[in-house]
Amino acid sequence: MNHLITRRTALKRLLRISGGLALSAFSGWPRDGLRSVWAGPKKRRFIVEGLGQGEGYSVEELTRRVFEAVGGITQFVSKGDVVVVKPNISWARRPDLAATTNPEVLEAVIGLCQEAGARRVRIADNTINDPRRCFALSGAGMVAKKTGAELIYPRSSLMREMKLGGNRLDVWPVFVPLVEADKLINLPVAKHHGLSSLTLGMKNWIGAVGGRRSALHQDIHQIIVDLAQFFSPTLTLIDATRIMIRNGPSGGRLSDVATRNTLVLGNDQVAADAKASMLFGLSPEQVGHIFLGQKRGLGTYDLQQLDQKQVIL
Amino acid sequence: MKATHLVWIRRISQGFFLVLFLFLLIESRLPQDIYLRYSLVFLSEQDLRIGWPVAFFFQLDPLIWLSSLLSGHHLIKGFWWGIALILMTLFLGRVFCGFICPLGTVHHVVSWFRPALKGQRMIEANQKSPSQKVKYFLLSSLLVGALIGLNLTGLIDPISLFFRSLALAVLPGLGVGLKEIFDWMAKTDVRILNQLSYGAEVLVSPVFGYGYQSYQSAWFIGIIFLITILLNRIRPRFWCRVLCPLGALLGIFSRFSILRLEKDLEKCTNCKLCTEGCQGAASPIPGQHWENAECLMCFNCFDFCPEGALSFRFTWHPKLNKKPDMGRRALLTGLLAGISIPLLGRLDGQVHKASEPRLIRPPGSSTEKDFLRLCQRCGLCMKVCPTNVINPTIGEAGMAGFWTPHLIMTQGYCEYTCTLCGSVCPTGAIREISAREKIERPIRIGSVYVDRGRCLPWSGNGPCIVCEELCPTSPKAIYFRKEVVPGADGKGKLVPLPYVDLKRCVGCGICEYKCPVKGRPAIRVISAGESRSLKNQILL
Repeated sequence: MNHLITRRTALKRLLRISGGLALSAFSGWPRDGLRSVWAGPKKRRFIVEGLGQGEGYSVEELTRRVFEAVGGITQFVSKGDVVVVKPNISWARRPDLAATTNPEVLEAVIGLCQEAGARRVRIADNTINDPRRCFALSGAGMVAKKTGAELIYPRSSLMREMKLGGNRLDVWPVFVPLVEADKLINLPVAKHHGLSSLTLGMKNWIGAVGGRRSALHQDIHQIIVDLAQFFSPTLTLIDATRIMIRNGPSGGRLSDVATRNTLVLGNDQVAADAKASMLFGLSPEQVGHIFLGQKRGLGTYDLQQLDQKQVIL
Repeated sequence: MKATHLVWIRRISQGFFLVLFLFLLIESRLPQDIYLRYSLVFLSEQDLRIGWPVAFFFQLDPLIWLSSLLSGHHLIKGFWWGIALILMTLFLGRVFCGFICPLGTVHHVVSWFRPALKGQRMIEANQKSPSQKVKYFLLSSLLVGALIGLNLTGLIDPISLFFRSLALAVLPGLGVGLKEIFDWMAKTDVRILNQLSYGAEVLVSPVFGYGYQSYQSAWFIGIIFLITILLNRIRPRFWCRVLCPLGALLGIFSRFSILRLEKDLEKCTNCKLCTEGCQGAASPIPGQHWENAECLMCFNCFDFCPEGALSFRFTWHPKLNKKPDMGRRALLTGLLAGISIPLLGRLDGQVHKASEPRLIRPPGSSTEKDFLRLCQRCGLCMKVCPTNVINPTIGEAGMAGFWTPHLIMTQGYCEYTCTLCGSVCPTGAIREISAREKIERPIRIGSVYVDRGRCLPWSGNGPCIVCEELCPTSPKAIYFRKEVVPGADGKGKLVPLPYVDLKRCVGCGICEYKCPVKGRPAIRVISAGESRSLKNQILL
């Protein structure tokens, strides 16, 4: 057969090929572009602030958008990972009292991890009140049931003495599942705290250890930094949808709670805490452990040094 | 119906009720898989409750119902079960003892598996003996005592005794043993053992509940239980024959029973197999008068008789059954004991005068006077308490309050929004309250004071303030002020010092429980300020 290619068909084919290439390049560009930035030899540090401004905005959507601002959760969670989410479920209190991480945020984060192909998602916290009551009343139990995530109870067989190598804490019992995770996501709620002035991301690691925890208050800021250094999470997402502005960390009345509709996402613990501390009208260096965290080199509260992004919904 | 069938029906029924009892006992704890829809929790205060009727056997026990009515003038929840049981006893005799009572079943099984005596000696042991009057003495002293104002029924009521023994001694004993094994497995560096330890812990936790419970004086509860079991070596079902006050009560009602043992003297060859198998020493042999009040309705005699000389039949007689052999002296002594024990119990002045500072009753408890009238000392509140703070008293409530519940804040604390103990209390000695009532009223169980000599910041040993952090009230009852305190080097240190606002303190004790000063915490709860008492107050 004679395969004569006319000029017209040649042009058509060329157009098709180049157009397809252009289209594919265009659609793939943002992701590829970002990946080249984030996957560089030097980890870029970022801080994203998500604001829910619309009436009745969806917390789930806001969480998703906050992650999308830095390329989506697939940048951090890979297929087959065991992800441990560490919320703050210290108290057996209703979610609206802001003593515990907002279950809607928790649910959204777990959903994202599962979409990213995580093999297992676990919720783990060493609570202050009875864990059964904490998980039930705070909504974390319901989230686990709904999403199929594992709820890890702080059992004595899961506490294990480990070398922390901190300035104040050398050897201390640690809640093992957090150490054994492939990816660790810190998901605290932003609260006032009598002694440490605020409890945000780094303070949340007190709920990741066992032993005589009440003795940790004797040098609380140093110990928070020691623990933050040891646990060093993949990501910190601070839930400031509702914050506790006084009578922390337990609260108990709706008048202790202020609505901020904010999420702070960062891969720098100190910066995330610094950003969240501003919601309380404090400057970061006023908070002992944020100040010490920078001094120790865990991160910076000088947010100018980071990629700052804002998502408004 | 054939006798063997009857005996098998009895065994199945005994097994069923024993399993039911154990199941409800195990379910008497906060389950791990309680989920509340958080969107619902948003709008309402929700109280966590146990989904099973864990007080069922206490409601079925007419002695508990009767003693609370006589003593506290209070009809307990679900009392119609007890009434139904009495009605059943009126027609059928002590079938509760033979078919239902879980403690009776345990004694039955123990006596049957390892009979202590054989042949002639067993026949002799199964002759009715005067010691069987003891239970009537106990019953009369308990009921008279209850009427006068001290309800000691639960100490020897079979359901309370069995529940208390299993919940406070047997299960925690097994739990402690397992914990040692699991902890050892978790500590090793062998990964598979670590994982096995966790897995085993998850597996057994539905039985032992979350965490490992421990109770003061549980060793004593356990020993008493062992003794009641070992008594079966002297005579089969010794407890049921000689001691059980519930058996005595049901025995009295059985006088009207229409299910009777019919004896045929003609057929009897006097082989005495019926007496050898008799569980209640109720004189089943033809020629003796059947003691229906002692008969546990086990149907062994009916089953064992090779000649068919014995049978149980429903017969309508205008004549009543034989009067229970209570003994006038036993009843009179019982009356005397019943009058004197409540009075002796008040001699320490706890009810009317001084209040023991360590006697911290669960939230929702009635006044001390009413508490002693209603509490069955069954241990249900102690079993369900998620923090293990509720313990049996030894001397804190005086002799009258022995083994009643009180809170030991070094063992746990009362959770601010938890109201579980009152929701299960079978007699209402602890009233059912809601979390909202507990917080808003508030219901105080005591108040707290700082021991400045031991407190770390007050004594110049550095900052701490754990108590303030954990204080659950809003605004916090424990607050701090930053002040300069001289340290050991003589230099002043600026530290936050804890203070207590008595108006806000509810006495929950989380501060005492979590205080880093171990041994004797630097902040302690005393009963003063408890809502249930008008006298035991501090503030105007």
